[in-house]
Amino acid sequence: MFSRMLLLVMVALGMGAQQPTAKPDKVISISAERFAFSPSRIKLKQGSVVEFVITSEDTDHGFRIPGAGIDAAVPQQGKGELRIRFVAREKGKFPFECSRACGAGHNLMRGLIVVE
Amino acid sequence: MVNTLAKALVKAIGSAVVFASLSHAQTEADRDRRLAELERKVRILDPSFKADEAAFDDRLAALEKRIDEVLARSGSPAASTTVSASAQPLLPKAPLEAISVTGDYQQSLEGETRLPVSGYMDAHFNKAEGEPGRGDFHRFVLLFGHSFSDRIKFWSELELEHALVEGGEEKGEVALEQAYLDFLVKPWLNFRAGLVLSPMGIVNERHEPPSFNGVERPVVETIIIPSTWREMGAGITGDLGRGFRYRTFLMSALDPSGFDAEFGIQNGRTGGFESSFRNPAYAGRLEYAGVRRLTVGISGYTGVSSGDIVAVTPRTSIVSFDGRYSFKRIDLRGLFANTWISKSGELNLAMERLTGLNPNVGSQMRGYYAEPAVHVFPRRWRNDLILFTRYEKYNTQQQMAPGFVPLPEFNRSSLFAGVTFKPNADVALKFDYVFNRNAGSAIRPLNGLNLGLGWWF
Repeated sequence: MFSRMLLLVMVALGMGAQQPTAKPDKVISISAERFAFSPSRIKLKQGSVVEFVITSEDTDHGFRIPGAGIDAAVPQQGKGELRIRFVAREKGKFPFECSRACGAGHNLMRGLIVVE
Repeated sequence: MVNTLAKALVKAIGSAVVFASLSHAQTEADRDRRLAELERKVRILDPSFKADEAAFDDRLAALEKRIDEVLARSGSPAASTTVSASAQPLLPKAPLEAISVTGDYQQSLEGETRLPVSGYMDAHFNKAEGEPGRGDFHRFVLLFGHSFSDRIKFWSELELEHALVEGGEEKGEVALEQAYLDFLVKPWLNFRAGLVLSPMGIVNERHEPPSFNGVERPVVETIIIPSTWREMGAGITGDLGRGFRYRTFLMSALDPSGFDAEFGIQNGRTGGFESSFRNPAYAGRLEYAGVRRLTVGISGYTGVSSGDIVAVTPRTSIVSFDGRYSFKRIDLRGLFANTWISKSGELNLAMERLTGLNPNVGSQMRGYYAEPAVHVFPRRWRNDLILFTRYEKYNTQQQMAPGFVPLPEFNRSSLFAGVTFKPNADVALKFDYVFNRNAGSAIRPLNGLNLGLGWWF
């Protein structure tokens, strides 16, 4: 019973992924500001463990990587940061975008992760 | 060693569960929501699992039963503490595999990026020297967006200006400020069509009240670049890499019957109402934002202006340069814009014949401004206090057609000094005082103070 509850808790907390303590090979700071991420193109090596540290220069933004199933909020300026750690398993181009309405240029607040 | 690690993990998770249960006094709705989320996740593991409408305990029992079945099928021992590893083979591996998402955030669990309603508002109190003060709920804007898919997105702004709209009276206006579809193809090539913002200058595309200092928008960006400038149009946009971005549109032309010396080309905007495509205009912008906290841009517009009122069709062209830069706690921004209007002499005479008034439209209009600002509080603080000053110079009769004499009263300048307090990054309390001048001696422009409250959500 306890093990099943444990499984429920872990699934609920999204811990079904792997290596929660994997140390990143690279830490990349990304700033989010109406209506752009900077940098907006990020090159990674296949197999590398990467951590994005995303901070906002103005309002709340969202950070969504459809290729990784990640969609989380970037808190507004002065209210902290968002840290995303992932493994770049496959080569390819993976777009990321702002997923929280932030103004007139919201749709084009996008970027690209290139795994080589 | 393995046992020790397993015990430590169980203790840690047990503590997390206890902490979570203490720190989040759950409501029934919250429990139901979390159970539904668990059911959704189990459906990922086993698509045949279906949740029913039973009571909470029954749903939990069904969930436990199905997890037992999933574990049995996967051949994993139920008592294993390496749950994540045993569950993993059932999940398709993502090309970018998330390890952790942490920080000061609220994770969205929705699969579809359905955007909620957002908006911005600003209310002003303006008092010109020697005149009574006036309050004005200047803008009430609601924004609606929707992602039909990762590649097709809708965006719109619906605006109520000056709080009140009554038939036939010059009070407020309800206006569609923008409404378009984006078709996202490649980072460097996307298509946009609908009622679009002209990509000119700084404020036209970035006009949320907390994003600029001063109660009113810069004068140059309301007269020389008539923001908010939107037209029916279609075009392409993209990110070229290395910090370069562009937007270019084919759009409806300005209506020259709205041009005059007082407000420049501001009243020539059609705003998407019976817009003339007899001679479509072109607008474009190239922007560089490759250095953190620096954005510089060049914008251009050209088109043969035409309308139903006057037969004269002058070509209107605008070029502007702008930049924004933040260094430590100092912000700098500035813009220069020049407008050329051909056949301005013919236009003035034609309008005089039609209305009895000569609009005195210049063949060239020019404006620029510079705005230094300093943030008083450290960056880590949640509140922000910004002191700023802005000098603007604008002349709507920079040059006149042969036979017309420029009036010095339209060679104007404004010096603003003010403060913006942000108790939250999305809320701005503004105060400024403006010293207005012109090059003439016949009419002395009034100085004034402005108070404003603006917010974004």
